[in-house]
Amino acid sequence: MDVLASLAHGFEVALTPLNLFLAFSGAFLGTLIGALPGIGPVNGVAILIPIAYALKLPPESALILLAGVYYGAEYGGRISSILLNVPGDAGAVITTLDGYPMAQKGKAGEALALSAISSFIGGTLAVIGLTLFAPYLAEWAIKFGPAEYFALMVFAFSTLASLAGKNPVKALIASVFGLMLATVGIDPGSGVPRFTFGEMKLYDGVDFLVVAIGLFAISEVLTMMEHSYLGTVQKIKVQTALVSFKTFMYSLWSILRSSLIGFFIGVLPGAGASIASAVAYTTEKRLVDREGTFGTGDPRGVAAPEAANNAASGGAMVPMLTLGVPGSGTTAVLLGALMMFNVTPGPLIFEQRPEIVWGLIASMYIGNVMLLVLNLPLVGLFARILTIPRWFLVPAIAALSFVGVYAVNNSAFDLLFMTGIGVVGYLMRKAGFPLAPVILGLVLGRLMEVNLRRALAISGGDWSILYASTLSKTLWALAILSLLFPYLVSLLGSRKQAVTLDE
Amino acid sequence: MAEKKSRNSDRVAGVLLLLLSIGYGLEAMRLQADFLADPLGPRAFPLLLAAALAVFSLYLIFKPDPDPSWPPGRVLLAQLGMLVSFVIYSYALAPLGFLLATTLEMTWLSRLFGADWRSGFLGGLGLALGLYLIFVFGLGIPLPLGRWWPG
Repeated sequence: MDVLASLAHGFEVALTPLNLFLAFSGAFLGTLIGALPGIGPVNGVAILIPIAYALKLPPESALILLAGVYYGAEYGGRISSILLNVPGDAGAVITTLDGYPMAQKGKAGEALALSAISSFIGGTLAVIGLTLFAPYLAEWAIKFGPAEYFALMVFAFSTLASLAGKNPVKALIASVFGLMLATVGIDPGSGVPRFTFGEMKLYDGVDFLVVAIGLFAISEVLTMMEHSYLGTVQKIKVQTALVSFKTFMYSLWSILRSSLIGFFIGVLPGAGASIASAVAYTTEKRLVDREGTFGTGDPRGVAAPEAANNAASGGAMVPMLTLGVPGSGTTAVLLGALMMFNVTPGPLIFEQRPEIVWGLIASMYIGNVMLLVLNLPLVGLFARILTIPRWFLVPAIAALSFVGVYAVNNSAFDLLFMTGIGVVGYLMRKAGFPLAPVILGLVLGRLMEVNLRRALAISGGDWSILYASTLSKTLWALAILSLLFPYLVSLLGSRKQAVTLDE
Repeated sequence: MAEKKSRNSDRVAGVLLLLLSIGYGLEAMRLQADFLADPLGPRAFPLLLAAALAVFSLYLIFKPDPDPSWPPGRVLLAQLGMLVSFVIYSYALAPLGFLLATTLEMTWLSRLFGADWRSGFLGGLGLALGLYLIFVFGLGIPLPLGRWWPG
């Protein structure tokens, strides 16, 4: 009842002409960004924040646009996976396994259509899950005290560390680095400037946008220089994308199972689209691949990862909106964007700013329908975009990054700082440090410190308050468990691992 | 080099991070609040972070991963050329104006990615004009015209 009324209110927000237009723009740009190899959802969202900010959009409209880019990119990623065997973003790596063989057999149109429909089902089921679970989770989370919040954030970092990248210690280092960046500026508790070295520009803290664009976009441009041999793409012909009803029914159970898997993996902090699609694919392979056709162009091998990665991006919205604790790099960037609009997500947002959450959720229903329509008849147009030469594409990404950052503050200092962060990001990528924890640390740093200090103010300096309640004890235990998880897995099932990701 | 896997990248990173944690920790020690609003004050959280980073970087020094494949000199040179141009562009944007600076910068970047001068220049010019139109007239965000521009 309550949920339906709130959702109806959300549709009132989402159906205004401006927000409909923004949902469409987000979906369109997202597909485009996802389709282009190299720029994934994080880059796309980060680069578009200054535009949303400069347009002085209300926060719910900005979020509708940016979230559209996020889940739209999960649709677009498959296009180059299927046609070129080059994943458009990290979530679409698995789609190459059966998508490209299908295209080689002359079934490119079928693979594109099936993956679009799978994406739609996965995405829509995830929004339904978000609608049902988010309000309850938010209601429950209102009871969190500062100690519980602190433990929850530690838990988020530790799951991210155990899942992002190969070496958990490197992910922890990246988290601490992000938290350190967040301490720069005037301390809100005492008014003391910290780590500013007398630089007035740093008194307000490190600019989130500058770090996000530098870390992801500029480091990507530097990375692309290494792969400039990739060269030009042959002409791609895609006729209309159609899939037979029989093939669709053949894949339906795989789609539904994978959507569920994707949603729950998405909800977990730290695990995003790429892990979801890998888990869904291996699960389907074990369950239904009796003739050993997976990897040779089995339509179910295309449907499963696509349903899962779209469901995961919807699931990832759950902790971001309800707890204010994002679980992935892209949701951390979305959270940072909301903070630029002076909105702090968390359990209270459902009561205080319902138009933002429910407007966003309603727009995701609409956006998924738009994406389905965009991706079926217009897939040929997006495929043609893949023929843009790299010598134009990469400078264009750089230009957008620079003009975006410059537009917000008109400062050369920001541009230099962005370049510096870009170099750091590039070195981190090369040396195997994941980037998402840095942005998570930057976004959560202040909140984490404030909650720690509040907790100790309540207890009068007694540290045991941090693990006094059952809930915080559980969260600490989960945090430690998730950090030990990779070691436990390698101890217990070295056989299992060989099957999972070796292809 | 191929037989004995070198692990120096992580060791160097570990040492640098250890130095960062020491410098950051020392700077945190100097922090002093005029009044104590809460029992922790402004330096406890940074000190925790410094300690954590120190432990993690020691782990990295003693248990490093094998080195990644660093790009060959030709690529490094191109990346350096790109970074230097970013720095020049950052300073040149206001005096030269957005259109001129961006056209030049984009021509140079296109060259680095293998375009010939002509198509690089035309692409850069198109990009600069397009972005200028979108930002200034579409979004209403002012971009500098340059100090050489009359008026």
